[in-house]
Amino acid sequence: MAMQSGYVIQDKVARLVSKQLGKPVLKPNKSLALKDEVANRKPKKGEASCVTEMALVMACWKQNDFNTKLCSNELTVFYKCIEKAQAEARDRAKQKSLSQGGRLLPKQATKLLKRYPNL
Amino acid sequence: MAASIVKLLAPWTPRFCPVRWTRYNPYYLEPDPHKEVYSIPESELSPEQKEEKELKTLRPIKAARSSETSSPFHDPVISKFVNIIMQDGNKAQAQGIMTQTLEMIKRRQVEKFHRAPMAEKETIECNPYAIFHQALENCKPIIGLVSIQRGGRNYQVPVPLTDKRRRFLAMKWMITECRDNKHRRTHMYEKLSQELLAAFNNEGNVIKRKQDLHKMAEANRAYAHYRWW
Repeated sequence: MAMQSGYVIQDKVARLVSKQLGKPVLKPNKSLALKDEVANRKPKKGEASCVTEMALVMACWKQNDFNTKLCSNELTVFYKCIEKAQAEARDRAKQKSLSQGGRLLPKQATKLLKRYPNL
Repeated sequence: MAASIVKLLAPWTPRFCPVRWTRYNPYYLEPDPHKEVYSIPESELSPEQKEEKELKTLRPIKAARSSETSSPFHDPVISKFVNIIMQDGNKAQAQGIMTQTLEMIKRRQVEKFHRAPMAEKETIECNPYAIFHQALENCKPIIGLVSIQRGGRNYQVPVPLTDKRRRFLAMKWMITECRDNKHRRTHMYEKLSQELLAAFNNEGNVIKRKQDLHKMAEANRAYAHYRWW
């Protein structure tokens, strides 16, 4: 079915481009074929991690005149949060380098297209 | 047999043109300079360690780096500190300054120990290494600032620091404080020992500098969400 519709479209395009009906309807200045590359886009930036924990630590500092010893509770929470966030970021980076939820990254797609170009 | 060797060699090809740094063939294993690893009896090894040991009997091993040592006196923090003190690659002098600093701290603390009345003697720390580590720990900042461009303006955004960065900042502040802000004609080891003892008691200019950074971060806390990591 898909193949058939493809042929139909190609026939139609050939008719529009040719001088069969006097003036050609379409005058493409580029060849009507898909390129072998994809525009390179940057992946979306993430969000700031541990903002609330940081705010808590700073509030505690302000109360205790920037004495770090009196805020050990807040600090332990903060350190734990950072560790977790860093581990998550590492995991995400690993996953991203492979593939993005079933979708190829633009760079990977371009690489594959260059290897198997459109005829 | 031949196929397996080809597979091993696949990611690595020898070069004719020399490049910077060494290029070991990937089947060379990392050396382990820690002595204790080799004295564990066979029965107490975990399966992974056993596997590694078996691999090590067959595969070649990289030469250990010159900075690695199995000496019980080796301390990575002190060796890093020495490397940051070092100027123009003069490591011998940097190491000399470090040992003199530790000696000076020891002398001062022992003097203090003998002067103190009986009841207070217990509380005085005389181990210079412990003092050094505690002083650096007191100097480490917790939150740093990074300038981030947003809408054509630079914002100072408070960020959590990594352990490496915290250690580096503490050491750098300590050294620049002694080098630039103190009298030129006092010996470096005197200045360092003074500053380290002050930091050990949570006083001194380095601690002040850390608090200044924290205050700056606190003043810019509204921009904390401008970060993307």
